[in-house]
Amino acid sequence: MALPNYDSINEGYELPLLTKESIPKVQLVKYAGASGDFNQIHTVEEYAKQAGLDGIIVHGMLVMGILGQMISDWAGIKNITKYSVNFKAITKPGDTLTAKGTVNRKYQDEKGKFADCKLQVEDQKGEVKVTGKCTVKFE
Amino acid sequence: MLDMSYEGKEFDSFTYEVERCKIKELCKAIGDDNPVFFDKEEAKRNGYKDIPAPLTFGTVINFWGYPEIWDRMKEIGVNIQRLLHASEEYEYLQPIYPGDIITGKVMVEGMRSSSMMDVVTFKSIYTRNNETVLIAKMKIVIMTGEQ
Repeated sequence: MALPNYDSINEGYELPLLTKESIPKVQLVKYAGASGDFNQIHTVEEYAKQAGLDGIIVHGMLVMGILGQMISDWAGIKNITKYSVNFKAITKPGDTLTAKGTVNRKYQDEKGKFADCKLQVEDQKGEVKVTGKCTVKFE
Repeated sequence: MLDMSYEGKEFDSFTYEVERCKIKELCKAIGDDNPVFFDKEEAKRNGYKDIPAPLTFGTVINFWGYPEIWDRMKEIGVNIQRLLHASEEYEYLQPIYPGDIITGKVMVEGMRSSSMMDVVTFKSIYTRNNETVLIAKMKIVIMTGEQ
């Protein structure tokens, strides 16, 4: 996928959605190994319960990674200059996540042409898990 | 209880060599199958010199390059079991590629404590040949009030 032309996008332009159906528990094991985040609240049920949770929870950074996939699919890694998220709610294995984004500002300055996007990840019930923003630079 | 004397303190710097398989492994774990992360030729066709690290690769550099971060957190008084990730922020200055030797430096940028929760912000600066390639900020919250 290629980043659209700066002139062809407007404020309110919607980024292509990305949905991940029912996050399996084994994905948390894979993510723990890949990222090196071995906090056991993500992989060991007994530990998670001891920590006061109902059970293991999805790494926030995995959710950020999924949202990151959506924006890098659209814009390409090299065109993204900033990306940040706020974690709003816990994600549990079995949740289906949908990553969304909208261009909320486009502008030009001496450094180039940019678009700021507003981002969000929600689950199958519409609960917002993550809000975020990113800045994309156009060539 | 947080030890507020850590506010503003920098931890030891560390180095991490970016391995091709860790880029692929992280993308696989995310479920990101974009061929630019797996195929060098495809990456070159898209204007990269090799497969680039994905947007959240900073977390790999941090946890694999500096696993001592868990001990540092305990040292400053963070209860790991009650820790929740509040926010994460990245600023990308240069793409990161396999074979890059990245030097990381983590500092405690801010600390706040109330009767209900502790909040700590860490800032990590990643450099390659003395040039900054990535800046990351992580905010964690630790619930301290009675449940």
